[in-house]
Amino acid sequence: MNHIDCKYYLATDVFKGICKRTKDNINADEPACSDFEKATKCKHCIHFSTKDEFLGLCKDKATAYPDMQAVTCKDFSWN
Amino acid sequence: MDSRKTLSEHAIYNYYGAKPEGEIQSREIKKSPSARVDKARQLYFETKSSASVEFPYWYTRRWEELEGEIPIVRRAEALKTGFEHISPAIFPGELLVMGKTHHLRGSYPMPWLSEAFFMAQEDEMYKDALEAGKVSADKVTTMGQGGGNVTQSVGNVISLAGKFGLRKEEMPILLHIANKWFNKSVDDVGHKYEQLVPGYKEKEEIMRAVICMFDSGYTLPQGREVMNYYYPLQYGIEGIKNICKEKLKQVAGYPDMDRLYFYKAVYIMLEGLQSWINNHAEETKLMASLEEDENNKSEYLEIAERLGWLANNPPRTFHDALQLVWIFHIAVLNEDAISGLSPGRLGQVLYPFWKRDMDKGLLTSERSLELLECMRMKFTELDCFASMGVVGGVLSGNTFNNLCIGGLTKDGESSANELEMLILESAMTCDTPQPTLSLLYDEKLPEEFLLKGVECTKIGTGYPAWVNNRVAIEFLLNNFNHEGLDLEEARAWSIGGCLETSAGSWMPLELEGVIHYIPGGSAPATSVGVHFISLPKVLEAVLFNGLDKRTGRRVYSSHGYKLDSYDEVWNAFKEYFSLTVEVLTLTNNIQHDVWGKISPSIINSMLKPDCLEKGKDISNKGSRYNRTFNVEICGGVNLVNSLASIKKNVFEEKNFSMATLKTVILENFGYISASETGSFSLTEQMKTTNYKTWLKIHKQCLDAPKYGNDNKYVDNIFKEWQDWFSKMCENYTSLYDEPLYSCQISVSTHGPMGAVTLATADGRLSGTTFADGSVSAYPGTDKNGPYALFSSATCYNHASSQNSQLNLKIHPSVIQGREGAFKFLEMIKSYLRRGGFHVQFNIVDSRMLKDAQINPDKHRGLMVRVAGFTQYWVELGKQIQDEVISRTEYAEF
Repeated sequence: MNHIDCKYYLATDVFKGICKRTKDNINADEPACSDFEKATKCKHCIHFSTKDEFLGLCKDKATAYPDMQAVTCKDFSWN
Repeated sequence: MDSRKTLSEHAIYNYYGAKPEGEIQSREIKKSPSARVDKARQLYFETKSSASVEFPYWYTRRWEELEGEIPIVRRAEALKTGFEHISPAIFPGELLVMGKTHHLRGSYPMPWLSEAFFMAQEDEMYKDALEAGKVSADKVTTMGQGGGNVTQSVGNVISLAGKFGLRKEEMPILLHIANKWFNKSVDDVGHKYEQLVPGYKEKEEIMRAVICMFDSGYTLPQGREVMNYYYPLQYGIEGIKNICKEKLKQVAGYPDMDRLYFYKAVYIMLEGLQSWINNHAEETKLMASLEEDENNKSEYLEIAERLGWLANNPPRTFHDALQLVWIFHIAVLNEDAISGLSPGRLGQVLYPFWKRDMDKGLLTSERSLELLECMRMKFTELDCFASMGVVGGVLSGNTFNNLCIGGLTKDGESSANELEMLILESAMTCDTPQPTLSLLYDEKLPEEFLLKGVECTKIGTGYPAWVNNRVAIEFLLNNFNHEGLDLEEARAWSIGGCLETSAGSWMPLELEGVIHYIPGGSAPATSVGVHFISLPKVLEAVLFNGLDKRTGRRVYSSHGYKLDSYDEVWNAFKEYFSLTVEVLTLTNNIQHDVWGKISPSIINSMLKPDCLEKGKDISNKGSRYNRTFNVEICGGVNLVNSLASIKKNVFEEKNFSMATLKTVILENFGYISASETGSFSLTEQMKTTNYKTWLKIHKQCLDAPKYGNDNKYVDNIFKEWQDWFSKMCENYTSLYDEPLYSCQISVSTHGPMGAVTLATADGRLSGTTFADGSVSAYPGTDKNGPYALFSSATCYNHASSQNSQLNLKIHPSVIQGREGAFKFLEMIKSYLRRGGFHVQFNIVDSRMLKDAQINPDKHRGLMVRVAGFTQYWVELGKQIQDEVISRTEYAEF
């Protein structure tokens, strides 16, 4: 997994960010370190089903996308 | 094509006085921000403009769920859901927190306004998304030119509008939701109905010819206005909700039921803002939990406590008040595509909080300065998501958050205060583009304050701009008196956007039993209506009998004049211009009406007096003052210089015929087009082999009287144009049933509008940028020094228009030291005392700009003043860069 998929990734822009733990500058698409923890994203939610690489369904109803941040979603539940 | 010589082979720019030689002169003074802010600024320099889909996704999802709901309530629910789902982000070291999105320079598309511009690129963007490979941040950081702009798709990032990066995994969902707004967005619905306007066909041709820059109803429907922070500062969010609850009880079931839905919408919106703030409080606690440094941990916990408090309550301290102001500022920016949302006279709004904290020993000047620097970073991080034509061609990537200082109090005394002195200091220690500053000059302001303003202008930030308080008050009394604005109220004015005079009100802020009258905006968006008419392009259409020779399309019907006298040229111009204003007013009225129905303003309406009192949003004339639609123009000085040349050369001295003039215009005076040379100023154009054929005529055109030299021949033409223009605007009526008024700023439109305009009779070459502003001379043509320019600029009454705009470029050596500062201040005063409305300065050695164009990486922090805004040099387009370089540099005055 890459930094962008990690719970501790703080994006400054679409390319890069800061590690919330170490405060190091990191690139979004480079491999994560051994302290990696999964970020809360739709693709890890029990309510999400995949349609294709970029799109899926939330609760079999609303179109959603796998990489959407779900940290503020009250219905998020780990799959 | 073999003898390519530049027009001015030895000069790379124009200058007045002794040409500077030797080493490039740098700024006189260079100050630094606190270590914390210096780090934040470095992070900003390394950060790219980033778009995300989170907010529009949730907005659209909720909107769809509520089909059949009352439109304003439906929108409030959609906005609330958007706010609730913004991923919180807290960046290390921040004292003021929260942003538009989770990215440092974040923004997002609003397909409910317009989905057309990215739908038009749908196939291309899909292709980019599918072909995306492994990203390399290094690839982007080596781009050099463009600063934070993502000018091309790289790796997993797709470039939108030549500025914003979007993660490729978000592109399919963006296109999915954009499709849902097809035929439903403000753009699409407005387009359907504007076609019912007689003359719509001409409007389309006017847009194609770029005689008008863009529609306003769906591009930037709000902005160029002044925020009003009174309600949150006085009542806090829970307090405003309580006002809504009471109002709901009073209006439910009674006539004028729109009030019921408005109060309900405001209440819903405020719930969304509370969740948004609380989510950030929780994130701050998470950051604290991961922090080992005790000081940092404690700072995070303080921030979390502050956010938790402000989610419900009014501010307790200056720091609280500043944070709450910022939250509401970005809340408004998140509800619409907005440029020019000005904080207004913030130093006076926050002064009661600041003074109380200082008196109680809760705050120091050093801490105040650091907080103000943090505020500058927050405003500088703002981006406005819009199409390339808007964000690049008009805004130059800027967001125009104008903070005003000075002016008068409610009872007519100086408003300048110690906090404003610190605001000026912070603008020097943290010299970033935002917020830009305007000093509302009045004879009653203390000399110490004015000298502080001069000190700031001298270091080359481009701000403060110097603006005439008395002229603005005269303008406001002329135009808003019928809505109840009196002299006392007129003093509460401020500038919205880069330079739009905006009506304000005094609001009674009660703090510990004392009432403080604080100023705030009380009028909705201005610079809506008719957005930027290119005057030289209208004149071009006159000369070619309604044709756009660049595209070969007919824009206007034949005017029927033979053009055998100057009066005929002038009359034909007035007719084409009037037709343009008429059709654009009607079509834009429809667009704004559709905006009010589909996408009404809720948060901004709530803040603006007297919407909350009346229960009406801005689009229902809830604001105290509503005469805000205007007619904006561009290229006025090139128009006037061209008219002077035609009058003198064709009709008086008969140096050449009208037919010959048209030929030389088409032949571009024997020069290669600017689009081919890639240079957009007059100084660096290249000749074709037959340039000698047109050399004499070109010289006669260049030698014709030029505006800016205290020359009555051309100044009388300028005055005639100004007087007619200001009067004719009143013939047209806005959506709010108010007459329009004239507005004279170029922003960045003089670049792209110049690019599509043929050579002009004043000797300007095809495709080159027009003169900037409204009363700036065309580069290199002001040969008699600044005082002669001032005489020309004040040949008409500036209070007859919403603004005027004068840019000057001065070599740093001229105003060095204390003596230079006094000399500089006297020069500024002399212009304003003559009735000039506005003057601003680039204090820079033009050779530095030229070097920055060649070596952008060496000049990441270099800023210049363009029109009503300051921008990083590296984020400006070349058309504007060339124009700023070529402006006359005053090496003496």
